[in-house]
Amino acid sequence: MSHTRARLPQPVASEHIALKARDVSFSWESTPLHWLPGDPFSTHTINVLHLLLPAGERWFVHVYKQVLPLIRDEQLREDVIGFIGQEAMHSRAHDEVLPHLREQGLDPTPYTAQVDWLFEKLLGDRTLPPGRPRQWWLMERVALIAAIEHYTAFLGDWVLNAEELDRRGADPTMLDLLRWHGAEEVEHRSVAFDLFLHVDGGYRRRVRTWATAFGALVFLWQRGARFFMANDPTLTDGKARFRDFHRAGRAGTLPTTGAMIRSIPRYLSRDYHPSRECSTAQAVAYLASSPAATAAEARANGAA
Amino acid sequence: MPLPRPLGSRAARAALVVTGAALLTRRALRRRIGASPLWPLPALAEPVSGQPRTRALRLLVARHERVADGVVQLRLEGVPSVPLPGWEPGAHLDLVLPSGLVRQYSLCGDPDDTSSYTVATRLIGADEGGRGGSREVHEALAEGVEVEVRGPRNRFPLIGDAASYTFVAGGIGITPVLAMVRAVDAAGADWRLLYCGRSRAAMPFLEEVEKLGGAAGRVRVVAEDESGRPDVAAFLGEAAPAGAVYVCGPEGLMDAAARALPEGCSLHLERFAPAASAGGDSAFEVELRRSGRTVAVGPGTTVLAAVRAELPGLAYSCEQGFCGTCQHRVLEGEIDHRDELLTDGERADSMLICVSRALGPRLVLDL
Repeated sequence: MSHTRARLPQPVASEHIALKARDVSFSWESTPLHWLPGDPFSTHTINVLHLLLPAGERWFVHVYKQVLPLIRDEQLREDVIGFIGQEAMHSRAHDEVLPHLREQGLDPTPYTAQVDWLFEKLLGDRTLPPGRPRQWWLMERVALIAAIEHYTAFLGDWVLNAEELDRRGADPTMLDLLRWHGAEEVEHRSVAFDLFLHVDGGYRRRVRTWATAFGALVFLWQRGARFFMANDPTLTDGKARFRDFHRAGRAGTLPTTGAMIRSIPRYLSRDYHPSRECSTAQAVAYLASSPAATAAEARANGAA
Repeated sequence: MPLPRPLGSRAARAALVVTGAALLTRRALRRRIGASPLWPLPALAEPVSGQPRTRALRLLVARHERVADGVVQLRLEGVPSVPLPGWEPGAHLDLVLPSGLVRQYSLCGDPDDTSSYTVATRLIGADEGGRGGSREVHEALAEGVEVEVRGPRNRFPLIGDAASYTFVAGGIGITPVLAMVRAVDAAGADWRLLYCGRSRAAMPFLEEVEKLGGAAGRVRVVAEDESGRPDVAAFLGEAAPAGAVYVCGPEGLMDAAARALPEGCSLHLERFAPAASAGGDSAFEVELRRSGRTVAVGPGTTVLAAVRAELPGLAYSCEQGFCGTCQHRVLEGEIDHRDELLTDGERADSMLICVSRALGPRLVLDL
């Protein structure tokens, strides 16, 4: 390990919370194609989550299962175990939206099959000699996940506070999916970064994997939004342009361009720690009122 | 772009070439992205995403009627324009009751009807070991109420090529058998049914069952208050060799059928409560084939806990059988599945070690 304990960024202890997966379930029959009424662009830009997360979060779980034996800190091991279950449920919950899109005439398979290749093959386990090369590839992926989690926490925090979505009458089931997911991302926002610090923590690797993750997210997101807009059966000549994104950010139906840009130097700062961003209390408060999360709670108590 | 003059100037020609190349590139890119949204990434040959194991559906209780003493039948309807997922006789639905309890009920309607599902439930009082699920179905699921369901899934499939079919149903155990009897009767197969219950008034679908049996004497009805306990052994003794025997009912009835099973017949059982309440937990041992170790699993502990003592880096998470992290391949041994997650295909050769156990004395895991 290339750093000393004294130089480690210090977490905010009060933001830590014990993690548990919730057995949520959503039914989609009554959710319209444009679940944000009259705003196909914002709807589809957020819908890109359903394209990326099923394969992406499955991949997180796959990688973390391999890291688990390397963890030497009991608290962190507990956190990672909770994280794995939450991510597995996120992946499944978003995956269940895809058949619903297909039934409404917007088949996501051409895109998701390529995302599947990205995570299963390109970022999957490679035929590497055991020892350093294999370790290097594992650490690289752990660092990539930490960088991606910076953005999932950013988006989670955004959606918990996106009151404009309520004002415009967004579909309650979709909003609950996004906010349940967002709240759990906020709950576990420090785990991926702490794990990265624990098993590697190198600054150069952090910068390198951040650049890869950021570039990939921008690439995947703009292609995803264009894919949905071009194939939406209710739109003729649907387009997704950067100025639409900027405008939606100002209207409050998507994150603002400025906030996205400001999040970059924060992750690259040497004393960054995720516990200094977002609010665990807000996430917990949402989960206490979320229809899906409270039903999951009732189910857990009913089964016990 | 206005063409500069004179045309011969080198700068203008260069600009023309660059613009042309840019336009061609853009067109080529658009065409490729149109055909392959993440060009130049390839697609995974067999996509994984977008095929969830099950989907939650919100259905409307369109009809709630009493069909026998203590038995109600529910007709659950979906959105008219979207056909419900299909099912085969023997399949069940998971109903997520308003309190959060999840209960399994066999489908007893017509599999060709894609607009609704039909289930029937007998009220099981607390004195009979009921845990509140059936009471909720009887009292809370009134007409007009929405209920969430998962499935359908089939843990009790009807094999298609048996020489003959012998069914034994006890009380509400008639529900999966009813769909089966209709199917084999429509297919013209040779079948017989022993239907027993406490009294004729408490036995649902009696009229339909007797009509299906017709004059051929395929159906024998035994009501305990009239003719005492059924003689399962005698009934099975008349079964044709190499037939399939399907039993759904109380434990005692299934034990009797298992004891009296004629040689050459295959036995198929459906338990009322496959999960938590299925008897006590017995001890068994688990061999970890790849690690070359064997661990003992006591009645009060789980496979996961026993295995983790040997392999501390093993991944798991929810410990309640829903997140799927601790799914492992089973190489040998009969599994007592207690999760609500795995598909029938996955159940054939894998298990969630946090909740599921062994039916026999031993399991072999690929660990």
